[in-house]
Amino acid sequence: MAPLKGLFDVRPSCGTPNRPAANTAIFMTTETDNILEIDTIEVIYDSVIAALHDVSLTVPRGKIVALLGGNGAGKSTTLKAVSTMLKGERGKVTKGTITYDGAAVKNQDPADMVGLGLVQVLEGRRCFGHLTVEENIIAGAYSRKLSRADIRNELEKIYSYFNRLKDRRKSQAGFTSGGEQQMVAVARAMMAKPKMLLLDEPSMGLAPQLVAEIFNIVNELNQNEGVSILLAEQNTNVALRNADYGYIIETGHVMLHGTAESLLNDEKVKELYLGISKEGRKNFRDVLREESTDHADLHHS
Amino acid sequence: MHISGWPMTEFLFFIEVVVAGLLAGTMYSLVALGFVLIYKASSTFNFAQGAMVFFAVLSFVGFMELGLPFVLAFFVTILLMALLGFATERLVLKPLMNQSEDTLLMATIGLGFVLEGLAQAVWGVEVRRLDLGIGDFPIQWIIDSTGLFISALDLTAGLVAAVLIIGLALIFKYTKMGLGLRAVADDPGAASSIGIPLGNIMLLVWTAAGIVALVAGMMWGARAGVQFALVDLALKALPVLIIGGFSSIPGAIVGGLIIGASEKVLEVYVGPYFGGAIEGWAPFVIAIFFLLWRPEGLFGEKIIRRV
Repeated sequence: MAPLKGLFDVRPSCGTPNRPAANTAIFMTTETDNILEIDTIEVIYDSVIAALHDVSLTVPRGKIVALLGGNGAGKSTTLKAVSTMLKGERGKVTKGTITYDGAAVKNQDPADMVGLGLVQVLEGRRCFGHLTVEENIIAGAYSRKLSRADIRNELEKIYSYFNRLKDRRKSQAGFTSGGEQQMVAVARAMMAKPKMLLLDEPSMGLAPQLVAEIFNIVNELNQNEGVSILLAEQNTNVALRNADYGYIIETGHVMLHGTAESLLNDEKVKELYLGISKEGRKNFRDVLREESTDHADLHHS
Repeated sequence: MHISGWPMTEFLFFIEVVVAGLLAGTMYSLVALGFVLIYKASSTFNFAQGAMVFFAVLSFVGFMELGLPFVLAFFVTILLMALLGFATERLVLKPLMNQSEDTLLMATIGLGFVLEGLAQAVWGVEVRRLDLGIGDFPIQWIIDSTGLFISALDLTAGLVAAVLIIGLALIFKYTKMGLGLRAVADDPGAASSIGIPLGNIMLLVWTAAGIVALVAGMMWGARAGVQFALVDLALKALPVLIIGGFSSIPGAIVGGLIIGASEKVLEVYVGPYFGGAIEGWAPFVIAIFFLLWRPEGLFGEKIIRRV
């Protein structure tokens, strides 16, 4: 592990936007307006496997922030560090701080975080397969003390966003389609009345029109309910088109961040993450390293 | 009158054997129910369930001997089982969270030994009599009206088991706690992500399993005496679970009935060819056939997997 880490830690020294603009993010909003601030956290699993090295990001209140990167980049780990689900997987935040809604995230458990209005929608939907769609959604209100009438009202409100689920409400969730399951997972999280949602790859394994449908709903929830959203995605294009701001991480480091629009128009992002290039896929770090050393190296076969 | 070539008296006898078997079966169901509760919530086969039955009923008898009236002793024992559930959650389950299911399984074996030892250290080792005020002899009005000899104790045990099982089923289906339990049973990680406190659910489940263990122990103890052998009775729940499915409450009921009835019928009609006493092993043979035919059990939840 150690020599590899040394190798990868070579950083370009020239003015590449490696970790720039701590100020760009802060200039946009005042500091108190950030619902989530992650400051240079390191996460280690099982006391030996480092998954995050120095991830910093902020989510302004009421905004959608996309966290982009490939498999193993550390997207899920970042989300779980915030929701404190890491503990359940023998992971630990060993350096840095996480501040959610003005308070440090330290010894809370996931139930505490839900109580504070932060809910994670786990990767892979994770519906309760043997419960009906409606039971799944109601289970989302577990942390709240609601009367039966309140629950009905909340359900109706949820169904107004997720029309499709209303028709399927008596179906066993395990037998619904992937898109419906993803909607169940988001609807279930919304029943907890979150101030902030952490969405882990909602597009995974879904057809493009379903992805669009789900992102539309996510946008509506953001607009109408004022829910702040941190969204981990591999689908860079869709994520950036729906987000206000984006962070790109690779092997546990933030490589680049900026407004969604600036990232969409960034040549390197286009080439590496949006596939708009004649060359083969590369990893971001390689490009940065090549740029900073020798341009002759750029041509791969 | 003849039914399928049998004289009436033999047919009545057959019915009696089946009914006695079914009623005995409800007691297996009760013990199995304790296993199902914990299996549902933590996917662990709780090897300590037999010890919990013994621990519960021995404590109950112990409290009665200390002079507590029946009802008070009953509730004090329930409180004790809730405490035991709490201690188990804190001292055994919580430290082992995120460990493999095998680790938990081994821990429950250890817990079983601790409970057996603890119960005997506190209350002594001699066999106690437990008098529920219900005799193990036939009820007159049933004899008068149908000619069947049905034991009052069997019938009571059957009714108590039925009430307990229906009660639990209703709680799971219609209460918030029940919904939480079913959610945890399906996906503990997802349940935790939406704020369902796993610790509370475990406490609830272990307490419920403790109450079921107490009732099962009282029914068995009233018949066979409150003694260490109760621990082994819980082994009979194993074929019940294999037939019914480890995660299903209806499965525990039907499995218990099938085992109860078939072991009695086999004992009476097939036993003589084997020199008798086959009810000890016949259920396990039946279980093996079920394992070959339907490994998830009659009601076991097939794993739903989308492709």
